[in-house]
Amino acid sequence: MAVSAAPFSMARVVVVGVGGLGTPAVRALAHAGVGSLVLVDDDTVDRTNLHRQILFRDADVGRHKLDAAADAVERQAGGVRPTVELVRERLHPGNALRVFAGASVVLECSDNYATKFLAADAARLSEVPIVHGAAIRWVGTALAVGPQGGPCYRCLFEDLPEGAQATCDLAGVVGPVCGIIGALQASFALELLGGGAPFGKLASLDGLHDELRFHTVKPRTSCALCGVRTIVDIDPARYLA
Amino acid sequence: MAIRVRIPTPLRSLTAGAEEVAIDSATTVGAVIEQLEAKHPGVKDRLLDDKGVRKFINVYLGDEDIRFLEGLESAVKDGDEISIVPAIAGGAR
Repeated sequence: MAVSAAPFSMARVVVVGVGGLGTPAVRALAHAGVGSLVLVDDDTVDRTNLHRQILFRDADVGRHKLDAAADAVERQAGGVRPTVELVRERLHPGNALRVFAGASVVLECSDNYATKFLAADAARLSEVPIVHGAAIRWVGTALAVGPQGGPCYRCLFEDLPEGAQATCDLAGVVGPVCGIIGALQASFALELLGGGAPFGKLASLDGLHDELRFHTVKPRTSCALCGVRTIVDIDPARYLA
Repeated sequence: MAIRVRIPTPLRSLTAGAEEVAIDSATTVGAVIEQLEAKHPGVKDRLLDDKGVRKFINVYLGDEDIRFLEGLESAVKDGDEISIVPAIAGGAR
């Protein structure tokens, strides 16, 4: 039995990054009857994306991801199609609060730490719930955060890592891991839109061993974002790795 | 019975690919990490800095973040499982 789309028809969902995580999430959200999708990305489709970025086809190689994604939503969504707004740039300190304004929920599907922390901060400052996702090689994580944080992404990971870190661009990622994490992000988002509160647990997938674990995440009183709240604006210097 | 430490993918280059390392006897999480370092040099530096557990690393004893226990002094016993959960990036490109 399908869940009624009615609770989602008024929802405005922002998806930051329309790639390995964003494409399965967008597909799930569109099919679920979400009323409005705001897609944020500045990249074009590369042939190496196709194994995991399930909205795209061979013919999309070289196209802007957002054009290809919007076409796919139009083609696949069935009877009730969401309105789709395209933001053809990366999320950055100058646009984050504007992009998140009026959102029902944000899905953070980006590929770098700076954007993850920026999205976390902008969501908290905008008082918008956010669902973070990440995937690399055989592992992935997802975390839903409420509009007031407590716990938030910075409760878990306090600040950007120093120095070079592995990303899926460099280290690779297994396609189904992206599919599972992106779908899980969409599931958390729909749960939120339906009035649920799937907060305080970090979903951690080990695709190589078929394990999905949930680690408890607690609010940290010293958290700069939702604890002592020393982060009160979007300072570009804060997102330099 | 030993204490099992689950090694996340980004650190497996330091453990010769091992996904899990058994520590035979230790009484605290900090002692486990010291023994892990003895077996696999370089791991400790990836987990700790001079203030303790690095900011973008979480160490779980069972299901509990050690920051909410006694940190590196958290007591462990045979049969416990320690999970290292680093921040990971990736997903869009």
